[in-house]
Amino acid sequence: MSKRITHNKQKMSNDGSKKQFWKRNVSKVPGSIQHVYGAQHPPFDPLLHANLMKTGNMPHTTTVKPKKATTFQEFESITSDAWDVGEDDDELLAMAAENLNIEVVMETANKVIENHSKLQEQKQQEEHFEKEEEEEEEEEDRDDEEEVVTQTASSSYSENRMVKSFSEAHIAASKEGVGERATLQRQQSLPHRPLIPLVARMADQNTSGSPVMTEREASRLDKFKQLLAGPNTDLEELRKLSWSGIPRQVRPITWKLLSGYLPANVERRESTLQRKRQEYFGFIEQYYDSRNDEHHQDTYRQIFERILFIWAIRHPASGYVQGINDLVTPFFVVYVFEYIEEEVEHFDVSSLPEEVLRNIEADSFWCMSKLLDGIQDNYTFAQPGIQRKVKALEELVSRIDEHVHRYLQQYEVEYLQFAFRWMNNLLMRELPLRCTIRLWDTYQAEPEGFSHFHLYVCAAFLVRWRKEILEEKDFQGLMILLQNLPTMHWGNEEISVLLAEAYRLKYAFADAPNHYKR
Amino acid sequence: MEAIWLYQFRMIVIGDSTVGKSCLIRRFTEGRFAQVSDPTVGVDFFSRLVEIEPGKRIKLQIWDTAGQERFRSITRAYYRNSVGGLLLFDITNRRSFQNVHEWLEEARSHVQPHQIVFVLVGHKCDLDGRRQVSRQEAEKLAGSYGMRYVETSARDAINVEKAFTELTRDIFELVKRGDITIQEGWEGVKSGFVPNVVHSSEEVLKSDRRCLC
Repeated sequence: MSKRITHNKQKMSNDGSKKQFWKRNVSKVPGSIQHVYGAQHPPFDPLLHANLMKTGNMPHTTTVKPKKATTFQEFESITSDAWDVGEDDDELLAMAAENLNIEVVMETANKVIENHSKLQEQKQQEEHFEKEEEEEEEEEDRDDEEEVVTQTASSSYSENRMVKSFSEAHIAASKEGVGERATLQRQQSLPHRPLIPLVARMADQNTSGSPVMTEREASRLDKFKQLLAGPNTDLEELRKLSWSGIPRQVRPITWKLLSGYLPANVERRESTLQRKRQEYFGFIEQYYDSRNDEHHQDTYRQIFERILFIWAIRHPASGYVQGINDLVTPFFVVYVFEYIEEEVEHFDVSSLPEEVLRNIEADSFWCMSKLLDGIQDNYTFAQPGIQRKVKALEELVSRIDEHVHRYLQQYEVEYLQFAFRWMNNLLMRELPLRCTIRLWDTYQAEPEGFSHFHLYVCAAFLVRWRKEILEEKDFQGLMILLQNLPTMHWGNEEISVLLAEAYRLKYAFADAPNHYKR
Repeated sequence: MEAIWLYQFRMIVIGDSTVGKSCLIRRFTEGRFAQVSDPTVGVDFFSRLVEIEPGKRIKLQIWDTAGQERFRSITRAYYRNSVGGLLLFDITNRRSFQNVHEWLEEARSHVQPHQIVFVLVGHKCDLDGRRQVSRQEAEKLAGSYGMRYVETSARDAINVEKAFTELTRDIFELVKRGDITIQEGWEGVKSGFVPNVVHSSEEVLKSDRRCLC
């Protein structure tokens, strides 16, 4: 490996412009915030840049207007259903209807609904049970320290509450502590009460209104506001600005613009929104059997179920795959915040007016669809997209940190064993929700953020734990560490560092498309 | 500190979505019942020691698999290196019981040339009022496959220990009798590092080689 890297270095230093590029990148310290800022527009030699683009997988969005079709976008406009502005809704509906055979619809419906309503029933029983048990507990084990700590720590995620062990004898696993952390940090893809545990408690910058704004933050917010105010939003400029994080106040509108849901033209936005929302509820009317709602009264779950259902029947090649449900959450939470001004700890979704909820649902659906369009091969048969990306991750890590790579190999830890989930759920199971939201600011600002840049983020993420990895002494320890990485206390800062490193890696290895092949 | 163990067995837990695989394993390895667990994506790893006789410990490494069909291409890679398996169905979900055969076929076709010792587990037995599969019926099915049958509840911690320990004991007996042997390149059974227990010198050498530097 090291030989190959050296070789590449030499190759680059022989080439004048590449030498520049290499040095420039090396001189930048990973973690530098400046580095991140405006990362879409690295001060590259344009010639070199063109070269990079030719070899790499990266689209040429730097100089291309976002709406202008690249090959991929052209392809998409042909195949994607109901995305581009100005298409005929009726025609689309007809198309959709034609493409869906009834069996697929039924099967999908069953899967989505069975899965969710099952969980729901289970939850209700458990809640009931939990109450009884809580009472018992109070009388019994007041001195169970571990339990107390656990409950306090997880109180903001009520659904993660742990239940005391019953008296079945058990020899404690050596890594019990790790398991506990894991349970705590894993977020729920579908919160089971109509409350959003809005992570506000965790001093969260991304979802709650932070009381004090620094001067820098205020000036950034101003820039966003200026940009968004114009008759036509400069999307290129908006991406640049968004790469290093979007202020909470303007995040909903910015996400909608960056995802392509809303047009850059301010005047057309309202009509677009109306049309897309109508279109979505047209699908609901046509395909979704409202009797499904009888399963439960929980607004939040109903919304998720409908979104997933409509997506699944419109994408029969994927259908409903666990993990997709996770991907709705960030959109939903961010769009809820468009309608809440005050800071809240828990927010009862069903307290929003129905009209508002409908808007949030439709907006979440379209934005999620847009995201998934870019990574659909993650969820089709045999999940080729994930297989490919995990391989690419392995190759990449072998080049950026040979020691860690060899260490994993030595203990026979396979990348697929831990990184499958990183790809399938876009790191959502590894990070607190607030971090995912921040991460997605950048993913939406970065060309092919979800489908390509994510790979570099995963590589940076793995190497971030190098010290902890090298401390483990066997397969078991490594697996448990890698499946339960302690990110519970992570916030914007950690994500910024991670993104900076990912960005560095992307450009350091962009000249080596062969890293996809071993 | 690594506790001393006689053997290490790798096990796999399979069955339809939402039958409670992860909850059962969590109850077993962490001693608690998670109120709600996210659907498993791909495969998760767990571990615990089991004492089968005083002083005799077996280390279990357990693969928790996603039940959803889409993940089969991932999960099927884990059969080959498993010596034991828990095949779960939900006693309140008839369909999950009907799929037991399909799961066995899936396992059989991917475990070659090895074999997996399975136990059939009827899970969620605390929900007896909503039972859709009778005990007799399940026992009969298990019998026809030559498997044990046990009914468990992760929520009420019923028979969770039993399910895992009995399976572990069965495998241990087979290993003792030489019906299952430790093989190079197979992770199903590995020998531990216990004084007074003879294990092949090859095993020891192999682990010594694992020094990094």
